Amino acid sequence: MARKVAIVEDDFDQRENYADALQKSGYEVATYANRTEALNGMRNDMPDLAILDIMLENEMDGGFDLCRDLRALSPTLPIIFLTARDSDIDRVSGLRLDAWDYLTKPLNMQFLSVRINSLFRIVDSLGRSAADISNSDLLVIDELEIDEHSMSIRWKGQELSLTLTEFWLIESMARHPGHVKTYENMMQITRQSYVERNTINGYIRRIRNKFKEVDSNFKNIQTVFGVGYKWNPHD
Amino acid sequence: MRSGFSIRSKLLLVALLLLLIPWMSYIYVRDMKAFLLSGQEDALSLAARAVATVLHDRPEFFDDNTVADGTPSQENEIYAFPLPNYININGDLSDWGEQAKQATNYSPEPVDLALYPNNTISVNHVLGYRGSYIYALFEVEDDAVLFRRKGFLRVDAADHIRLTLQDPGRLETRYTLTAQKPGRMSIYLMDENWQYPITGEPNYDLAAEIDISDRGYNVELRIPRFMLSSDTRIKMVVADVDDTEVFSIQALIPTTPQNETDELSRLQVQSPEIAKILKGLDRSDTRIWVIDKDKQVRAVVGNILTEDNLEQINRPKSANKNLRYFWDYVRYYYTRTLRTIFTYIIEQPAVNFADHERSTEQRNDQIIERALLGAISSDRRPSLDNQGTILMSAHPVYLGDNIPGAVVVEQSTNQVTRRQQETLENVISVTLLVLITVATALLIFASRLTLRIRRLRNATDGAIDRDGRIVTQKLLAEASSGDEIGDLSRSVSNMLGRLSQYTSYLRGLPDTLAHEVSNPLNVVNSSLHNLQQEMPGSGESKYMQRAKNGIARIGNILRNLTEAANLEQAMQSETRETVDLVKMIESYVDGYSISNPEQAFELDIETKRLMVEIAPDYIAQALDKLVDNAIDFAALGTAITIRVKRSDKSAQIDVVNLGSRLPEGMAERIFEPLVSLGRKDAQKTRLGMGLYVVKLIASFHDGDVQAQNQIGTDGVVFSLSLPLNNPAARDD
Repeated sequence: MARKVAIVEDDFDQRENYADALQKSGYEVATYANRTEALNGMRNDMPDLAILDIMLENEMDGGFDLCRDLRALSPTLPIIFLTARDSDIDRVSGLRLDAWDYLTKPLNMQFLSVRINSLFRIVDSLGRSAADISNSDLLVIDELEIDEHSMSIRWKGQELSLTLTEFWLIESMARHPGHVKTYENMMQITRQSYVERNTINGYIRRIRNKFKEVDSNFKNIQTVFGVGYKWNPHD
Repeated sequence: MRSGFSIRSKLLLVALLLLLIPWMSYIYVRDMKAFLLSGQEDALSLAARAVATVLHDRPEFFDDNTVADGTPSQENEIYAFPLPNYININGDLSDWGEQAKQATNYSPEPVDLALYPNNTISVNHVLGYRGSYIYALFEVEDDAVLFRRKGFLRVDAADHIRLTLQDPGRLETRYTLTAQKPGRMSIYLMDENWQYPITGEPNYDLAAEIDISDRGYNVELRIPRFMLSSDTRIKMVVADVDDTEVFSIQALIPTTPQNETDELSRLQVQSPEIAKILKGLDRSDTRIWVIDKDKQVRAVVGNILTEDNLEQINRPKSANKNLRYFWDYVRYYYTRTLRTIFTYIIEQPAVNFADHERSTEQRNDQIIERALLGAISSDRRPSLDNQGTILMSAHPVYLGDNIPGAVVVEQSTNQVTRRQQETLENVISVTLLVLITVATALLIFASRLTLRIRRLRNATDGAIDRDGRIVTQKLLAEASSGDEIGDLSRSVSNMLGRLSQYTSYLRGLPDTLAHEVSNPLNVVNSSLHNLQQEMPGSGESKYMQRAKNGIARIGNILRNLTEAANLEQAMQSETRETVDLVKMIESYVDGYSISNPEQAFELDIETKRLMVEIAPDYIAQALDKLVDNAIDFAALGTAITIRVKRSDKSAQIDVVNLGSRLPEGMAERIFEPLVSLGRKDAQKTRLGMGLYVVKLIASFHDGDVQAQNQIGTDGVVFSLSLPLNNPAARDD
């Protein structure tokens, strides 16, 4: 049975393009143009994943409001924000509402399927019991624990709330501690279309902040000026 | 701030205009004085007329020496002048004052001189009256003053004075004035031969005093009026006796006119009736003369000698040092200073007129002549010592159509002058007080005003930071004041508000633009993707590739546009750390060389350590921009030099490239958003946001970034300077 993806996007062209692409990838797609329509539709027919634009018709933060409403309906529904808004504030607000990922337009459609796939894998892994988690899926570097299946990361025993992109970046650095991940490398890893050094810097900044939320002395991600970043195993 | 007068000094300068008040008062008081003087003149004129009116048609006043038909008397006449002072009978002539100088000189008869050619004798003599006495003064020059010996019965055996009085129809009475020593003289009624007193009893109605002088002796004689009726005739002779053996009289000098038939003279004094009338007019500050047509003074009353009524302020005694003492001191010096100033600007009231001894005869004033001709006239004249001014007014006295005399009224201008000075003194004191009060008030007011304006200026200065960003939209300073400064503050707030709206609109513009563009871009992008899925093989089409390329470039533009805004937001929450800038730049250049192997770098470190407090990632980002920019404009094959040095209190990173120079005026503008120098590579987008980002990062670190052309060679230097963590420490 095909997984069902809901797309809430007020722009008809984009909405239909997403729908076509996802249907081709084998998903069942439901499309909505505004918040009330989406909420009513999803209340009756809950999707397996929702992709939300933030600005919906004349509601500036319609996507956020919708996200809050959907969370009330289903606490575990994976939600992706797909938006043209690219500010830290929006990213933080989105993730604070327990969105699973935050993507900015223009979006590479291939990467969208990849992400959706990854998210469904996470969903699947969450369904399994803890005992089922094999050790091979767990990557431990000092105090960093990376669960490949649930795509979750723990630092000093505390779970970090990360987006998919952030998880991928940390994982790629931590997999080869002490080795420099160049900007070019990392741009690939983000699986987004238009990534620059600044975008990477922004991701790393947010990642560091998240580590610092659980450990204010966190210094393991080191800048290699002009080149990239590396995971430092020792402080 | 441009240098110039502050509001405070300007207001104080304006307050100085208050000094015009004393000046104005001075002008006013001067005019007032003129007015008062003319009033005084009028009053004098009126007084003169009043006195004259009283004397009109009363011939008896002018009668006692002049018969009604006006024919002159054949008799000898002598005149007693009115004396302004009471005379002390003490041999001291100083109380006669000027009058003594009017004395007539009398010499011995030629007969006497022939007998005693070596004898030196002469007499200065004058007569005067005051009150109910007639006074006679004898100033005798004598080579040998001989007093009467004790035991000598004869009184003519010494220097003496003979006085003869005769009432009409009666015998002459003879008196001799003689003395045994300087002092009170004895006066005896004498026999016909002037040798022996008739009785031994001296006469006490008459009084005389003798005193030795340098040249001889002086005698003052007082005769009561009752001894001299209006018809009494008089004769006075000074007898000189020098010989101590024979006691012969060597000279007899009469001081009254002698004529062949009559040796006696009539004494002319003013009529008591006039005096009685004038007595009622006697005032301390007015002198009234009645003058007959021969310009002889018939009567005089009053005095123009006035006391100086100005309050004398004495230097306070230093015994009790309290507030009152201090106040007295201030007052003393204040008054003294003021009066000193007044001596230069206004006429001073004379303390003592040297005028009172003058006789009318001598003045020979025109106005008297005119009055005697029937004209009413007034005049001013300086007092003798030129210390004051005397106003005088003359009015003729009529007797039918004749003018037997005139009335002259005199008054000094002292009172007016004093009043003027008092007024000025008051005005100046009040003005000073007002000036001080107003100046103090203005000073306080101006200080407050200046303070408020300064506060507003500081608030306004602080509202916009160095880079032109609006820090506060609402000025708190003076915001609630109701006056113009409050208005100013509110309009500045208003202005800032509008400006802030506009700048936030401007700043948000790239973001909004990016947002608006990214949606249609996404349509194109996803459409291309779907097209590629739908039509297998189309992905390899070069057009598809170019379309994707174009989309990628538009995507880059959007990222660039939003970068600055995002960066500003992100930096607010960034924490800084202390970093050695030298190490950081070394590793940065290392890394950059690795990632850009085709570009040559030169590192030029001029110092050992440079500790700065920065957010390293942002500095690296700024360096990225600077180096990218340098690579873009570097001449082909040339290296980019990165120089680190210490300059004064800051660390400086120079990024130097050889190549074209900056166009004129570009060095300042290049850090503004959306300002770019054009491009070398048509494929590469240059939005002009990169250097703006560098500027933002530099400002965030309280540093600065500047661009300038290299000196000597073609090329550009971008200098990023950051404040040193501890500028005092020199690590190199």
